[in-house]
Amino acid sequence: MKLTRRKLATVLVSATAVAAQQPAPSPAAADDLTHARDRLQANARALAAAPIPMATEPAFQFKA
Amino acid sequence: MASIGTDTFFAPLSELNAGLKAGEFSAEDLARAFSERLQQLGPRYNALALPLHQEALRRAKEVDKDIKLQRFRGPLQGIPYGVKDLLAFAGQPTTWGARPYAGQVFDYNATVIQKLSAVGAVLAGKLSMVELAGGGGYRFPSASLTGPGLNPWDRSRWSGGSSSGSAAAVAAGLVPFAIGSETSGSIVTPASFCGVTALRPTYGLVSRHGAMALSWTLDKLGPFARCAEDCGLILQVIAGKDSKDPGSAGKSFYYTPQYARPMKDLRVGYAPADFAEWAEPATRPAFDAAIAVLKASGVQFVETKLPDFPYGAALSTILAGEMGSIFEPLIASGKVDELADKPQIAGLKASLELSAKDYLKAMRLRRLMQEEVGKLFGSVDVLLAPGRATIASKIDQALDRGPGGTPPKDPGFRSIIPMGNLAGLPALVLPCGFAENMPIALQVVGVPFSENTLLAIGREFQSRTDWHKRRPPAA
Repeated sequence: MKLTRRKLATVLVSATAVAAQQPAPSPAAADDLTHARDRLQANARALAAAPIPMATEPAFQFKA
Repeated sequence: MASIGTDTFFAPLSELNAGLKAGEFSAEDLARAFSERLQQLGPRYNALALPLHQEALRRAKEVDKDIKLQRFRGPLQGIPYGVKDLLAFAGQPTTWGARPYAGQVFDYNATVIQKLSAVGAVLAGKLSMVELAGGGGYRFPSASLTGPGLNPWDRSRWSGGSSSGSAAAVAAGLVPFAIGSETSGSIVTPASFCGVTALRPTYGLVSRHGAMALSWTLDKLGPFARCAEDCGLILQVIAGKDSKDPGSAGKSFYYTPQYARPMKDLRVGYAPADFAEWAEPATRPAFDAAIAVLKASGVQFVETKLPDFPYGAALSTILAGEMGSIFEPLIASGKVDELADKPQIAGLKASLELSAKDYLKAMRLRRLMQEEVGKLFGSVDVLLAPGRATIASKIDQALDRGPGGTPPKDPGFRSIIPMGNLAGLPALVLPCGFAENMPIALQVVGVPFSENTLLAIGREFQSRTDWHKRRPPAA
């Protein structure tokens, strides 16, 4: 496909416009994500503190 | 056309069934009355996701033909009901309570809907829920496509989640029963807050085919109803093997009150700290009175403790791992940002970062938990705890804030909801009184497939009390 200078300019302007429309993550959203990650890590620490015998298999085929 | 009085809106299944058989009203009368009431009052509580008025009338007319020909199909025949909007109903929207799925339509029915239809029950509407059953962790009751679930006892308070509409609709007499789901607390919490009897069945007893998956190894479907007896009758219909549900236990359930063990033979494990320390002060007199009623029935109370495990951390980790995998396409597409609750969005995004190491650790611990909890039930038949230690919160109150103050040292059964769900145990919620004019409830938890024992205790308790018959003021 032959790309003219006019078409290239149109594409670049459009791409810039789209990029400008992408909202940056708000500080509140970033805080929420940080809190969510912190929760996962806190859970991991709580699990790490619980001893598990090496032979214990996961409850994958979970049947009550 | 028979007129349906207010008492009928709060009647148990046995009365509705007797009225149908005696010709006091037809299935069409019931379907018309309940679906109109659901359409009229459901929005008042943000409980209605989708009215199915015409479909209900069409189905009810077929049921009336069956009854006329004396083709009786059991106690649910001709009874209207609602389902949480995470169950597929062919040709109609199934939103999972979430904006990204607002236009979702399946071409098949969930197994529970098929089973209920086969016995002549009439689906009157789909009921609201917390978006995606709240798996990401939500901060406010407004985390729903239909707005915050409003409690029929006080609309300034939350109906609980995530089966918000199922509990509110039954409490307000909009349907005689409803189907909800629980991954961790989503039946127990709204039933407790709305003063409704409800049953979380053993994992695998009720097929989840056609239900939104949140966590394959934790999800369960169960009934909200007028009383324990009704829960038993409904469970008998919806339970059973289903090859379409990989988690199906392959077991049926027969409701057999005639074979119930005598109350005096039952040992009830409990932790005094739950009622004396963890329960909100305003709720304690009602809980004390409820315990006195149970003691008077002859059951033996035994002080006990839960095995020491990080239940909450294990449940959250397993849920995050499975939910992240299930909703990865939603998260990757960016449509997750259309959800209503920001912390829920963040929780879903973060779930993709969970390591296999942590998921497997939680699943291995879960194996140990199941073994130790099994041993606990060697010394007791059931465990008893508050459904929730507080009354329903205000709808504008953040849910991720603790109660404040210094927590009691004795953990009691504080972890009974995650413990019960990790071990796949059934639980029955029994309304047991009021605090600040809001309902509170007990939960009775048993070993897997002990639903008949739980229901026997529920029947006994409800034969001695009338909390389950109380109606919200506006209803």
